[in-house]
Amino acid sequence: MDLLHNLYIGFSIALTWVNLLYCGVGVLVGQIIGVLPGIGAPTAIALLLPLTFAVNPTSALIMFAGIYYGVAYGGTITSVLINVPGESSTVMTCIDGYQMALKGRAGAALSIAAIGSWIAGTASVVLLMAFAPALARFGLRFGPSEYFSLAFMAFGLLTVFGGESPVKIIFSTLLGLLLATIGLDVVSGLPRFAFGMPQLLGGIDFIVIICGIFGVAEVFNSIEEPEETSLVKEKMRLRDLFLTWEEWVASRWAIVRGGVIGFFIGLIPAGGITTASFLAYLAEKRYSKHPERFGTGAIEGVAAPESANNSASISGFAPLLALGIPGSPTTAVMLAGFMMWGIRPGPLLFQTKPDMVWGLIASMYVGNFLLLLMNLFLIPAFVAMLRVPYSALMGFIVIFASIGAFSVNNNLFDVWMMLGFGLLGYVMKKLDYPIVPLVLALVLGRLAENSLRQSLTLSGGSLSIFFTRPFSLLFIIAGILAYFSPLIWWGIKRLRTANARITT
Amino acid sequence: MWIADFIAAVVAILLGSAVIILSSQLPYMAEYGPGPGFLPLWVGVGILACAIVIFIQVLKKHGKTTNFFKPGTKTGVKILIEIIVTFLLFPLLGFSVPLGLFTGVAMRTMGKHRWISCSVTALVTAVCVHFLFGDYLNIPLPTGRIGF
Repeated sequence: MDLLHNLYIGFSIALTWVNLLYCGVGVLVGQIIGVLPGIGAPTAIALLLPLTFAVNPTSALIMFAGIYYGVAYGGTITSVLINVPGESSTVMTCIDGYQMALKGRAGAALSIAAIGSWIAGTASVVLLMAFAPALARFGLRFGPSEYFSLAFMAFGLLTVFGGESPVKIIFSTLLGLLLATIGLDVVSGLPRFAFGMPQLLGGIDFIVIICGIFGVAEVFNSIEEPEETSLVKEKMRLRDLFLTWEEWVASRWAIVRGGVIGFFIGLIPAGGITTASFLAYLAEKRYSKHPERFGTGAIEGVAAPESANNSASISGFAPLLALGIPGSPTTAVMLAGFMMWGIRPGPLLFQTKPDMVWGLIASMYVGNFLLLLMNLFLIPAFVAMLRVPYSALMGFIVIFASIGAFSVNNNLFDVWMMLGFGLLGYVMKKLDYPIVPLVLALVLGRLAENSLRQSLTLSGGSLSIFFTRPFSLLFIIAGILAYFSPLIWWGIKRLRTANARITT
Repeated sequence: MWIADFIAAVVAILLGSAVIILSSQLPYMAEYGPGPGFLPLWVGVGILACAIVIFIQVLKKHGKTTNFFKPGTKTGVKILIEIIVTFLLFPLLGFSVPLGLFTGVAMRTMGKHRWISCSVTALVTAVCVHFLFGDYLNIPLPTGRIGF
């Protein structure tokens, strides 16, 4: 009954005209961002965040959530029609989606992506409603040692899901932690790495770094390597969007499996929607009776990853709302938003701000429904946006990034800092240093350090506090296994090779 | 690209060393637990360790990488210079005019747009920035010496 009552509260907030407007704007912006190359959900939210200082936090959050799951829908259009993922989470959709488009079934591919995303997204909201409050109650038992261990595990999981050089992932994480320590130490009041500059005493604001490292860096990277695209020349009619019975039968279980995989991957810190879509595609291919069809235009190859990425984008709110731990760069930027509005997400949020939490959750039903309608009836309009020249788009990114950085402290120093971080992000991307670990560590850095210091103060400097509390121990073990996972995989591979040699 | 990787690894080693030196000047332990230098010192140690591993990896792959500079790098440098000039103009002309000018000039630099369309875009952008951010969103943008 509690759940229904909370949902009633949520809908009474989400269905006000103002929040409906913010939800509509959010999903529309998300859809457009997904279609346009060179700009992603974290960039868009980071650029818009400073503009919401004066907006009601619930409305702003509803809009940002709409952008987040809207991007996953929008990215599908470019994946199917021009074989270029609008978002990293739609990379897997290119494989079979573009092949379907070449065979004249672009409409069906876009249709199953929209329907699958809607079904999996809505189911994920239902599960989120049940799971997030339970996770919050669980989180109430957490002390500083559990929070430090959880952050330690989240950083470790980046090496599992990061997909790049583990050493560079750890380096990038440490760089984020280093940036988080800049400024006055909250306990002793001593300045750290401020070099006598008063602008650095308060630390470097997260928005300044994000606007540079995602916004301006992306501008330089996109200018240097423009995406070559070739639009599938097909005039799409409404009837092309209808699925055949065979296509529906082939996709229905792929949607269920993709949705379930997406939900659980979204719950894991650092799991992310890209990993969810990747794993869903691989699982679908492995499960299929005809794996050879994958890569040639199998509709399940579109349904599974699309359902997974939408499901994961919604379940990713559970650790953010219930524990205050972001699982992806986008939720990390949203955590910065919470801080900007003076709200601390975590176990108590469900008790102190139930209207905000349930309003946000209820808005996801509305947003997903709006996106379904947009994706079934407005695809030609979004395809037309592919004609927007990057030369014009780039100017707007620089404008939003500059004004966003300036508005934090009304200080030009921050604008120059933002440009500096833009160049850092550009160089990091060129040299294959991942940016996501830096961002997550930057956001969680203060929490991790404060929890570490509180824990060691409580234990009189003994590290045993992390190993004597069960949840803390569990997170530490998971973190250590994650950090050493590249070595473990390497060892397993060596053993398998050695065994294969012995048997032959 | 190898030289860029090499330079990056050297910079990372220098960064790690600098962090260790600077954080060792902060108190490592405080009265009731770890001091302000505790985490930065270990972060510095971690950065240095990772940087050394990366440096060794770079030395091993000598000559196996692609070019750092791409055909579009030249345009990227031009845009960077335009951004720097724009930011330098902020104290003099405020935000609206330089950002409008930047949009127009950058369009010209990036694409094959006519001067007239670039000029119109610059003008519309400057007006939009002024009214949207300055008036509607109430962000106190500096107006510069021309008062706009």
